[in-house]
Amino acid sequence: MNKRTSALFSFTVAASLVLAACAPAAPAAPAAPAATQAPVAETPMAGAKKRVKLVLNGTLGDKSFFDSAQRGMEMIKSELGYEVRTIELGYDRNKWEPGLEDAAAADDYDILIAGTFDMSAYISRIAPQHPDKKFWMFDAGPDYEGKEGGCSNKCENVYTVLFRQNEGSYLLGVLVGELLKEGKLPGAEGRTKVGIVGGADFPVINDFIVGFKQGFAESGLDPEANVLVQYVGGDSPFNNPAKGKEIASSMYDQGAAIVWGVAGNSGNGVFEAAVEKKLYALGVDSDQYQTIADPAQKATIITSMLKNVDQGLLRAAKLDAEGKLVYGAPESVGVAADAVGIADNENYQKFVSKEIQEKVKAAYERVASGAVKVDSAFK
Amino acid sequence: MEQALQVIFSATFIAAVLRVTTPILLPALGGLVAELGGVANIALEGIMLTAACAGVLISVATQSEWLGLLAGVAMGVLMALVLAFFHLNLKADVILAAIAINILASGSTIFVVFLLTGDKGSTSALVSKQMPFVEIPLIRDIPLLGPIVSGQNLLTYVAFIAVALVAVFLYRTRAGIHLRAVGENPEAARSVGINVRAQQYLALALSGLLAALGGVYLSMGYVKFFARDMTAGRGFIALAAIFLGGKTPLGTMIAALVFGAAEALSVQLGNLRVPNQLVQMIPYVATLVALVVYALAQRQRAIARQRKFRQAQAT
Repeated sequence: MNKRTSALFSFTVAASLVLAACAPAAPAAPAAPAATQAPVAETPMAGAKKRVKLVLNGTLGDKSFFDSAQRGMEMIKSELGYEVRTIELGYDRNKWEPGLEDAAAADDYDILIAGTFDMSAYISRIAPQHPDKKFWMFDAGPDYEGKEGGCSNKCENVYTVLFRQNEGSYLLGVLVGELLKEGKLPGAEGRTKVGIVGGADFPVINDFIVGFKQGFAESGLDPEANVLVQYVGGDSPFNNPAKGKEIASSMYDQGAAIVWGVAGNSGNGVFEAAVEKKLYALGVDSDQYQTIADPAQKATIITSMLKNVDQGLLRAAKLDAEGKLVYGAPESVGVAADAVGIADNENYQKFVSKEIQEKVKAAYERVASGAVKVDSAFK
Repeated sequence: MEQALQVIFSATFIAAVLRVTTPILLPALGGLVAELGGVANIALEGIMLTAACAGVLISVATQSEWLGLLAGVAMGVLMALVLAFFHLNLKADVILAAIAINILASGSTIFVVFLLTGDKGSTSALVSKQMPFVEIPLIRDIPLLGPIVSGQNLLTYVAFIAVALVAVFLYRTRAGIHLRAVGENPEAARSVGINVRAQQYLALALSGLLAALGGVYLSMGYVKFFARDMTAGRGFIALAAIFLGGKTPLGTMIAALVFGAAEALSVQLGNLRVPNQLVQMIPYVATLVALVVYALAQRQRAIARQRKFRQAQAT
C-alpha cells in the first residue's frame, strides 16, 4: 500500500513538473517568435510557403461540414503549396478550449483556422495572446468589439468568413415548397409537410431555418403549419445519429414527405429513417449525394444545401497570399459568391421537374441580385 | 396539451418506447446478473461499444448479419472475461478495471475503424448489414397492437424474452441460485463447496453477452452503422435501471421502460410547441425523480426493518 501511494505521489510530482515546465512557455511564445516571424509577415511575398493549421472541434468523417473544411485545406495545399495540417479535438467539449490553447501556443503555424459558434469565445480569448499569428474563423466570428471580455485587441489578427446559410436555405425552401405543392414525389403524394432536424438551438442553425421558411412560404404553403422543426440537443448535438434518426422517424410519422438534417453527423440518422419510411431527405453543407456510400440512402437525397466551407477557405488563402485579406472584421459570403447554394446532381434532375428548376433559378437570381433580402437569425 | 396526450397514446409512440428501451434493457439485464453475482460491472458501456463496432465490421467483411452478431457477442464476452481476469485473478479493483475497459473501448474501436476506413467519425462509409425486422403474421393485422408488437427489430424481441430467461435462470436453476449465493455471501457459499471464482466468471460472461446484444442492436438495428462513442451513456443508464428496479429482472425491465419512455417522449414532444430545453430535460428529470423515489422507499423499508428488530428485541 505504502509503495503504491509513494508511486502515485511521485507520478503526481512528475506530472506537475511537466505541466509547470509547459506553462511558462505559453505566455512567452508570443514575445519570442515575434522577432523571427516578423520579416516573413512583413514581406508580402506571393510565393511564401505558409503553414496552415486547422483545429476542428469534432472529428473528420461527418460527410458534411468538417469534411468540407478539410477539402479546403487540401485545395490550399495543392493550389498554393502551403504546408497544411489538421488537428481533431473530438466531440468532448471539455477538450476544446485546452486543445485550441495548445494548438495556438505551438510555433508550427502561421495561420490557425477554427470554425463554429462553439469556438468563437475561445478564439476571442486566445487570438489576442498571439498577436504575431493569424487566425481565421469560419461559420462564426469572435467577439470583435470585446464587449464581454473577448478580443482584448479587437481581434485585429482574426479574419472571419460567415456563410449566408439563410440564402442557400431560402433556395432550398423554394424548391421544397414547390415540390410539395406539386405533390408528385413518388410515394409521398399528398404529403405537404417537411421536417428540419437541427443540431442545437443557436443562431447558426436557426439561420438555416429562418431562410428555409421564407423560401417555403413563396410556394403559398403555410410554413408554420408545414415546416416541423426539432433539435437534437443534449451532450453531442452534432454527433448523435441515433437521436437524429428517432426524430426524423417521428417527423415522417407526422406526415413529413422530406426531412432535412442540419446537424452534422446526427444528420446521417435522417437518411436511415428516410430509407426505412421510403420517403425523402435533404443533405447539408456538402453534396451528401456524393459523400454518402450506401446506395439506398443516396437514393433518398433530393439535393443538399451546400455551404462551401472548402471554397471559402481557399478564397481566403488566395486573398491572403495577395495581401488583400481584411483582418479585424467579419466578412459574409452568400449565394452571389457561390459560397452557398443547392447541389445539382442526377437525383436533383430525377426528382425536380424542369419547371421547378426554373423557379429555383429565378429565386437564385432574386437573391444574388439583391432583389430579395433573406431574413436572418443573426441580429 | 391535447396534442401531447394524443402523441403519448399513439401506437407509434409505444413502438418507439420499445425501440428506445432495447439498448437500455439488454445491458441492464447483464449488469443485473453481474450485480447479483457480487461483481459490480460498470464496464457495460465499453462492452456495448466494442460489440457494436465488431458487429458492424464483421458484417461488412462477411456480408452476413448473423456472423456480425456472433462476432459482436464474442467480443463482448471477451471484454467481460478480460474484466473478470483482472478482477478475479489479478485482484484489481473492479471499478478501476472497468473504467479502463470503458476508456479502452472508446479509443480502440474508433482506432480500428480509422485503420480500416480512414474515417474517425463513423462507419457510414461502409455498407453494413442489419438484424432483421420481424413482421409477426396475424398479430400484425390487429389494429392498435399490430404496429406496436409487430415489425420491431429481432433484438427487441430478444431483449424482452431475455427478461424471462434471466428470471428463470436466477431463481429456478441450480447455477442461478449458486450465483446469487456467491453474490450474497461469498464466504458462506465457499463453505458449502461452491466455486466462487467460477460463479463470478460465469456472472461476468453472461453480463458481457447481454450487454453485447445491446451493443449490436445499437449499430445493427437501431441505426445501421457504428459511430464513435455511440452508446452515449446507455451503459450507465442501464446501471441506474438495475438499482431502480430493486435488483430484480422484472423491476429492471420496468425501470428501463421508464427511461425509454422519457427518452421517446422527449423526441415526440419536441415536435410540439413546447420549449426545446424543457423537453430535453425529460430523461434526466425522470432519472432524478426515480432515484429520489427509490431512496425514499429504501429509507421507509429500513425504518420498518429497524422497528421490527426493536420489537423483536423487546419481546
